[in-house]
Amino acid sequence: MKIGIKFLTFCILLGHLTVFAQNGISVSGTVSDDSGQPLPGASIIVKGTTTGTQTDFDGLYALNDVPNNSTLVISYIGYATQEIAVNGQTTIDISLSEDSQALDEVVVVGYGTQKKADLTGSIATIKTEDITRTPTSAAMQSLQGKVAGLQVVSSGAPGTGPTIRVRGIGSYVGGASNPLYVVDGTFFDDIDFLNTEDIETISVLKDASASAIYGVRAANGVVLIETKSGKINQKPEITYNGYQGVQIAQNVVKLSNSEQFATLARESGSDAEAQSIDNAIQRYGRSRINPNVPDVNTDWYDLILRHALQQNHSIGVAGGTESVTYSLGLNYFEQEGILNMKNDYERFNIRSKINVDITDRLDIGISTLFSNATRYRPEDTAFALAYYATPTMPVLDPSKTEAYPRPYANAQDLGYRGTQNPFPVMENTENREKVRNTLTTIDLNYQLVPDKLTLKTAFYHNFETTETREVRLPYFFGNGNAFRENAELIKRNATFSEQTWDNTLTYNDSYGKHNLTALIGTSYRDRSYEQLEAKGLNFPNGPGIGDESYYLDLANSIDIDGVGDDGVRQYFFSYFGRIAYNFDSKYLLYGTFRADGTSKYQEKWGYFPTVGVGWVVSEESFLENSNVIDFLKLRASWGELGNANVDSSTGGITSDAVDGAFGDVRYPGLVTSSDFEALKWEVTAETNVGLTARLFDNKLTIDSDYYVRETRDAVIPVSRLLVPGETRQNVGVIRNSGFEIVANWNQKVSDNFSFSVGGNFSTLDNEVLDLAGQENLTSGGDTAQRTVVGGSISPFFGLKVDGVYQTDEEILSDPAAQAAIADGLTVAPGDLKFVDQNGDMVIDAQDRVDLGSYLPTYSFGFNLGMNYKAWDFNLNVIGQGGNVIANQKRFAIRQTPDANVDRDFAVNRWNGAGSTNSYPSAKGIRNPWSNQFLSSFFVEKGDFVRLQNVTLGYTLPKLNGKFNPDIRFYITAERPLTFFNYNGFTPEVSDGRDTEVYPIPGVYTFGVNIKI
Amino acid sequence: MKYIKVNKLTVLLAFLGTVLIGCSDDLDQPELNNNFAGGTDFSQTDDMILSLIGVYQSVADRGWEQPLVVATRGDDVNAAGDQQGLKNQDRYVYDNSFFGSRTLWETYYGDIIGAHTGMEQIERYMEFADDEGIALGNQYIAEAKVLRAVLLFQLSQVYGSVFIPTSSNLNDFADVTSVPSKDEVMQHISNQMDEAIPFLLDLRPNERTDLPGGVTKYTALMIKAEANQELENYQAVADAAGEIIASGKFTLFPDYYELFKTPGKLSDENLFEFQYSDFGNGEGDRVSHLYAPYGPNSWNPEVDGSSNGWGFFEPSLKYIEFMLDRGETERLETSVFFSQKGIDSLIASTPYTTETLPSFVSPTTRDGDENTSTVRSIFSSGKHYLPTNQLIPGRTEYGSNKNNIVFRYSETLLMYAEALVQGANNSTMTADESVNLVRSRANMAPLSGVTLDQIVDEKYAELSMEWGKRFFDMVRLGRYDELSFDGRTFTEDKAFVTYHQDQIDEFPILGEIAN
Repeated sequence: MKIGIKFLTFCILLGHLTVFAQNGISVSGTVSDDSGQPLPGASIIVKGTTTGTQTDFDGLYALNDVPNNSTLVISYIGYATQEIAVNGQTTIDISLSEDSQALDEVVVVGYGTQKKADLTGSIATIKTEDITRTPTSAAMQSLQGKVAGLQVVSSGAPGTGPTIRVRGIGSYVGGASNPLYVVDGTFFDDIDFLNTEDIETISVLKDASASAIYGVRAANGVVLIETKSGKINQKPEITYNGYQGVQIAQNVVKLSNSEQFATLARESGSDAEAQSIDNAIQRYGRSRINPNVPDVNTDWYDLILRHALQQNHSIGVAGGTESVTYSLGLNYFEQEGILNMKNDYERFNIRSKINVDITDRLDIGISTLFSNATRYRPEDTAFALAYYATPTMPVLDPSKTEAYPRPYANAQDLGYRGTQNPFPVMENTENREKVRNTLTTIDLNYQLVPDKLTLKTAFYHNFETTETREVRLPYFFGNGNAFRENAELIKRNATFSEQTWDNTLTYNDSYGKHNLTALIGTSYRDRSYEQLEAKGLNFPNGPGIGDESYYLDLANSIDIDGVGDDGVRQYFFSYFGRIAYNFDSKYLLYGTFRADGTSKYQEKWGYFPTVGVGWVVSEESFLENSNVIDFLKLRASWGELGNANVDSSTGGITSDAVDGAFGDVRYPGLVTSSDFEALKWEVTAETNVGLTARLFDNKLTIDSDYYVRETRDAVIPVSRLLVPGETRQNVGVIRNSGFEIVANWNQKVSDNFSFSVGGNFSTLDNEVLDLAGQENLTSGGDTAQRTVVGGSISPFFGLKVDGVYQTDEEILSDPAAQAAIADGLTVAPGDLKFVDQNGDMVIDAQDRVDLGSYLPTYSFGFNLGMNYKAWDFNLNVIGQGGNVIANQKRFAIRQTPDANVDRDFAVNRWNGAGSTNSYPSAKGIRNPWSNQFLSSFFVEKGDFVRLQNVTLGYTLPKLNGKFNPDIRFYITAERPLTFFNYNGFTPEVSDGRDTEVYPIPGVYTFGVNIKI
Repeated sequence: MKYIKVNKLTVLLAFLGTVLIGCSDDLDQPELNNNFAGGTDFSQTDDMILSLIGVYQSVADRGWEQPLVVATRGDDVNAAGDQQGLKNQDRYVYDNSFFGSRTLWETYYGDIIGAHTGMEQIERYMEFADDEGIALGNQYIAEAKVLRAVLLFQLSQVYGSVFIPTSSNLNDFADVTSVPSKDEVMQHISNQMDEAIPFLLDLRPNERTDLPGGVTKYTALMIKAEANQELENYQAVADAAGEIIASGKFTLFPDYYELFKTPGKLSDENLFEFQYSDFGNGEGDRVSHLYAPYGPNSWNPEVDGSSNGWGFFEPSLKYIEFMLDRGETERLETSVFFSQKGIDSLIASTPYTTETLPSFVSPTTRDGDENTSTVRSIFSSGKHYLPTNQLIPGRTEYGSNKNNIVFRYSETLLMYAEALVQGANNSTMTADESVNLVRSRANMAPLSGVTLDQIVDEKYAELSMEWGKRFFDMVRLGRYDELSFDGRTFTEDKAFVTYHQDQIDEFPILGEIAN
């Protein structure tokens, strides 16, 4: 009996224990980082359930009903997730360690977010620290060399953005290769209005699987930009970032000086050119150093360039309470141009983003960004004139008393065809542009089924006005040629308005190990553009009169031909959907579909599907205990995208109004076109395979991809037979393929020292597969470019140089030279020798070959970052190559033989037997035998390596006490050194035809970051 | 867990669906700022003339280099200046380096096709017109045919074998396998004129009130005569030219010097000219041609601020010597704009001296403009020169407001005389009479019993610097030794400018013609 009672008591006790266990315990504690700082907003979830909570401002949490044998999962963005077994503990404190590339990080993808680990596509993300390190007006410039497969071609003029290409060129028509920019959900064609300080992240969606959700705009890649926003439960954070810097022109091409120029002119064989040197001597006197040279030695570039300032200041505040998050900021950017005329860019932005949780199911967000920019554009002709101007002429010539407003020297006085002096144009021209941009967004998220089914509706309005004023004041040279006789004023007002309305329904659920996200949505977009311009002549101008008279009302007459009125209205309507499925985060399946309709082309609808798969190999049992591999994912995707950047087609024959003169009376008439264009979407199909891996305890990250993109129905301008001009048709097939790899090693050596080393490398192979039966497509005029099936797009096309004729005997024994002489041409020692490709003993157009493409075949970037105590250091090197550049400036000698040439030619020219076998003589370069066709002498390699950015920063030690701002000082050198062989200002010429005369400056800045 | 009731969800989705579907017909909106010719109201017969004026405008709108390609070869003109390619062409060296040999072909054909498009548009108007409208339409179509012929004629003179378009449909040329010969082209032009003449107005161009200076029956006859002259069909030349002379409508402009300047615009001598105008305004839009290539590289104009030129086009020393030897006065003064350097070289290379040269041989024209060129062209073309005191005040471009005469009565008379001397029969006038009309206007003594050589010389004196007529005559008459002057060697195979490489790339058949 006694045993029975003991047994019963035991059972009752057991029962109590069991009941106890089933009711769960309360667990509480703090979550902090590894330096002891509390982490507010960290999430703690009971694994396998939806029971969870977040830590408060002080990092404290409390959970009830936690089953005793459960596990807690603690996570926080930027930190490695931890799992801790409860095991009856009621107080559990967790310390999380930073994980700079944590894979449960969430990445912004089209119309939603995804965990980075679950991606099947190729996406590169750049964070704000890396973006703001580059002092620039254009945020995309900061990506140069950082993203494999992204080609960024810089531009020097203030306020102008770079040319961007993602994975090669899929479109034949230039300018239609720009990617789509999505800023917080709104589409943009360029993001000139954003300040780098406005941006939180930039994600480049490179392959079809990532970008296809944007369907019709995605063929050239998509760049997603998130502006800064606040976080729940975040103490307000006030930041100030500012820098002051100076821009200095780099790699300015040295042109021939007077002595070299005079030698060239006398060797040229042209009496007129030699006479002009004598005329200069007569007019300006003899140089004391060399009596055969005039006493003038003008270095035009030196006179028109200056050091220019650049500065940026931004203040922002961000934070959040339980139900409201906010981020507000304003910034000011100013950049002077290095051309010595009114030439600068100023931009003032205000932004705000507020998100409110109205109920536990409904939240509303409103954001506005207002950008106000004024740009004074440089007059590019001034640079072009300065390049070609003769050094034997000064800027001012006191004897020209009739010149106005200053006694400008005129090269025609010396016998040259043009006036050549850049100063009149520079000093009497002003181009002002005021661009104001407002982007307003309102979005609403309603959880129809909490945490499972969400409806989002968002309305965006992007409104931009551009006011342009171009003022050309008159100037005279005083003789024969009054160059600009009328004062001209052009005013242009343009308004652009784009409204978008997106609706999406997202479903999110998990069934055991199956996780599913599904999305369907629609998007409606209305794009409108209106432009009005007018030109007036002879408004009041002169000394003492300024802007107040720059109005058409004050002009003497309005030029009827200068009045323009243009408008564009386009509509876009789309349906799209997405499914993202993963099994235990191990097997991934992803698909999207989009149907896009547009009013731009005659065939209106396009359909763009994509599918991607992934296998997270590291989750498999055989890799679970690997010491080396922490994460390994293999992925592959396929998709189709459309290109909406192609200009719309008219779809019908059109007429233009013209004026005829009969008996000195104007009679209006009409000229009608005889054919028209009817276009449909260009479609690009892309296949991508890749892997993502993290090795050696997350120290080494590798991301690698191989892709093949094919653009079908590429819009190709087809030459009209017999008559000038082209019509565009969807007839071509263009393929781009390549390999990309990004690797980074991140190591924390000790508490005081950590470093990261990384690099990226990518290749590009561009090939034209079909030209719809056309044997070739030729463009480019005299600097010929010919596309043939099997080659890349528009490579340069010309003769191959085989050296230089050194002696008369050499010419006598060369049948091709003899054939030309028999035809009446001259061939002399110093002329270029060409390869007779077809062996017919004649050098003519049939001997032209592919001289190379303007698209680089490889590009790379290397970066090194170090942190030692309070110091931080960062170095970035980039390079690219495999492309060629046509030196149009040298080739221009055909039209204007008496212009100046670069010093490299002057010094290296042929001037006697045996002097050189790679440069022609001064006479030779002017001789039609040597320049009647483009040749490899004028097409040079564009390879370069550049030290892109060096930054050194120092963070002040934290003070004791409550007021404890983070203050960091830094200095940066951007583009301080570039190594290249090309004889031009920059090896970055986006289309390979170098008429570029605006040098790209290096920027040196000193700045401070303050965070309170 | 609350679940929203199913029917509310359906309502929500249905609402969204209907709102959004309604937006999709926006996709059919047309592109803005386009005058869709498909939407033209062809029942408005009065609008028919707009298409014709469009053809006139495009024919007269020529790039600066094109008349130079037509006119520079020949012993009347040298290419000067810095365009090596043009200089080569002048020396009968045909290479790809002068872009003009490409643009001449392309733009002339562009305008010829444009003439076809204009004619097709007019035909569409005629479908809705009454009898009066139809007659007017036929007249306009005939005018367009004549304008087209002007361009096709010059194309064939320059290149020889050229394509003959028959409509605006470019696809006709997609698989072309043959090219008509120059003779075939000229015959086609002659036939076209026969088609057009019945519908054209029987007026002098300057008698027209609807389009002053526009094409008339006599323009077409002149072109017919020109085409037949190239064919060496001299009877047809005599007949066509004779009909022009017999009409009695045309007379030679009394002042040879002013014929090529403002007073000569739309004179009674002009059978066809390209019209350019500033419309009497010193600023604002104008219809113009870039005459700068003909102007002296530096000068001292009478009216300050007037622009000089580029010095590309230079009357030859051979021509000037020829004119001096003949004792020409008016015609030499008008045709050549001398510079001091040019006069010095004249003295250095001929028996003439400062004393023996006529007084008008001076760097300063009778209107006070002084040619101070020392480089590029040492002589400039006087027929392309407009005195600065004739420029509309406010305009400074060289030759602004000046017309460019293509066909004039003086040439009709000389063509007629040559045709008779070559064996044709016509009773309108004798060869002597027609030549002497031309000579007496130029203050030259009359001739009796004119020979072919004398007529050829008369044409040299009268028509030099005008549209290469001298060069094409020398080729036609086989006088190659005349063209082999000053270091040049002319042979028969150099008569035509070779096709530019771009054209051969486009039409391989052209590559097989040795032209």
